[in-house]
Amino acid sequence: MTAWLRAAFIVLVAACREAPVGPCPSPRVAGSAAEQAAPVVRRSPFDSAFASAGAEFHVPPALLKAIGWVETRWEMVQGAEEFAGRAPAFGVMALRGAALGRGAARAGVTPEATRRDPLANIRAAAALLDAFADEAAIDRSRNEQWSGVIARYSEIERPDGRAAYGREVDRALGGLPPQLARAPAPAPTACLPPPPPGSGGAPDYPPGVWRASPNFNARPSDSTGRVHVLIIHTCESNYTGCWSWLVNPASQASVHYVVSEDGNEISQLVHESDRAWHIAATYDCTLNRRHDCWLNGVQSNDFTVGIEHAGFASQGSFPASQLEASATLACDVTRDRGIPRDWQHIVGHGQLQPATRTDPGPNWPWIAYVHRVQALCGETVVDDSAPFNDPALAAAAVPAAWTASDTTPDYYGGGYRWASTQPDATDVASFSFRLAAPASRAVDARWTSGTNRSPHAAYAVISSAGDTLALVRVDQTTGGGRWRALGTWTFPAGWNRVVLLRRGTAGSVVVADAVRVRQ
Amino acid sequence: MPRVAIVCALAPLIINACGGHEPRETGRQSAAAARVSAPQDTSFAGTTAPVQRAARPGTPPRVLRSVAATSGPGYDRVVFEFAEDSVPGYHVEYTTKPVRRCGSGDPVSVAGAGSLVVRLEPAQAHDARGNPTLAERERALGLPAVREMKLVCDFEGQVEWVLGVVAAGPYRVLASPGPGRLVVDIRHRP
Repeated sequence: MTAWLRAAFIVLVAACREAPVGPCPSPRVAGSAAEQAAPVVRRSPFDSAFASAGAEFHVPPALLKAIGWVETRWEMVQGAEEFAGRAPAFGVMALRGAALGRGAARAGVTPEATRRDPLANIRAAAALLDAFADEAAIDRSRNEQWSGVIARYSEIERPDGRAAYGREVDRALGGLPPQLARAPAPAPTACLPPPPPGSGGAPDYPPGVWRASPNFNARPSDSTGRVHVLIIHTCESNYTGCWSWLVNPASQASVHYVVSEDGNEISQLVHESDRAWHIAATYDCTLNRRHDCWLNGVQSNDFTVGIEHAGFASQGSFPASQLEASATLACDVTRDRGIPRDWQHIVGHGQLQPATRTDPGPNWPWIAYVHRVQALCGETVVDDSAPFNDPALAAAAVPAAWTASDTTPDYYGGGYRWASTQPDATDVASFSFRLAAPASRAVDARWTSGTNRSPHAAYAVISSAGDTLALVRVDQTTGGGRWRALGTWTFPAGWNRVVLLRRGTAGSVVVADAVRVRQ
Repeated sequence: MPRVAIVCALAPLIINACGGHEPRETGRQSAAAARVSAPQDTSFAGTTAPVQRAARPGTPPRVLRSVAATSGPGYDRVVFEFAEDSVPGYHVEYTTKPVRRCGSGDPVSVAGAGSLVVRLEPAQAHDARGNPTLAERERALGLPAVREMKLVCDFEGQVEWVLGVVAAGPYRVLASPGPGRLVVDIRHRP
């Protein structure tokens, strides 16, 4: 493996050298996924075929295995029938077109067998690599000389795409120890300046890789261009195919970010301040809980940031590491742009464009995802309705006599509860949050405002020990649809709570929507 | 021919797929246009209503590899040919709304008084490496019925063309397998 780690490093450097304007290879997104054994040291269904074909054609078996991992994750692809997003490719080695024919001929197998039979497919790929190695007249004993052969095998035209492919092969071969990356190798002069340590160099999200797309324009300079909604997409393809298409001017489409399948890499394609081209729909507030109806008819790209996810709207689930990387990114975007982390501001493409889109699909875990974005940004929200709460951290208790409604927009979650004030009422709407240890927390409340609301709605802040820390009165006739600060207190561990009292002068209503607790 | 049988069962609007009338490849010809022989029938009733067939959920995208337009007696024919043996789901419809690019949302205009939208899904006109599979993404045709065609969407598994037609006249949609081809015939004005 040591030799191959070195080879991987060379692949990386060589790929970089071939990229006249591309970014240098970057480290992984920090902490986004657990380290796993490199694919080449794992068992595959085709290990004997990699070994025998490699020996037959004088190609390192580990290289065959790594390419097979990058191409198909060691699946027998059958054209478009089996493996989404790789339509023209066949077999474990994803051979396609003329390359398939050439490799098959050189290996002495039929194209049909190459498409269907794993051993024939791997042998044809080995024969093709053998041919490329011959033509490049490389010294096969010098691992670094294989990098050009790998790039040619990829059939990727764009230098940055070839570099990315080399990086994927590198990862499959076992990755790259950081100290090796900083070894005194010749400086890859053709690259952009290397990003700072721990950075992928993306302008708005430093852990990401910057791959600039030409497909963008300026946002409107008036209020309609203010960024305040985050749109979640799925690529309907794999990661490399997704970003490499969206940086191609022919696509006439783009997005701000693309998250890889495993979350190990995020590409930024367009500055957040610029208008990426990821949603065709003009805004219709009836598709978004009647939020911001003044924006109706405005092109949705004007005020949104888009995140694409490698994968498909039809898939049954999303990898946990991809969701974690995406949530980390979404926290960063919402924090930097002042976007509320709620159900009107983090939305799906299909929600805003139902005529032609469904992404990210029915199995995107919305509740868990938004909770994770909130948690990464240091906040917990307690909604009046249980489905919107993380039961480990948040719970609400609202008496049945409090009426559920969604008539006034800009509530948190799916609606809110209201009750008429009464001088002798004793019932309350209770919002509880759990702390693992004593801590200081800022507390905000949210309601929907209206002329019939109480101008003196009272929130009591009560510790897990039962001590009332404060009684805060707010004017609910105004300021609805936003978080309003109640104050900051030091809470003990356990279930602390904020309760909205119904008691008050008769003739108005109090609205219990949600409470937010933040660090 | 179970594949043909399935196509027939699912799509009664596909007139020719079962009858053997669909032009077949003869000899070794590279251009898709050359594969489309002269239409067998010179008149058909057609429709101006939407014609659609959804793909099964989870179907992998089809790769559009060529588009050809020709004029025959009585109608113009546009052929979408795919790299795979079958066609993707499709939705063909005249629209009076502005046609927009699916990424930018920018309106797109085409010559002619009518706009026939052909949406293919799941499909793409680029390969897994981000290279386009079709070099020509806009085409001025000047045929009797179809004046112009533009690719307005190739994003997130959807490909959408808009055909600028002289008038929103009757059309038909045919699909044939191996390789998958979707044929849209638009009648000339009487």
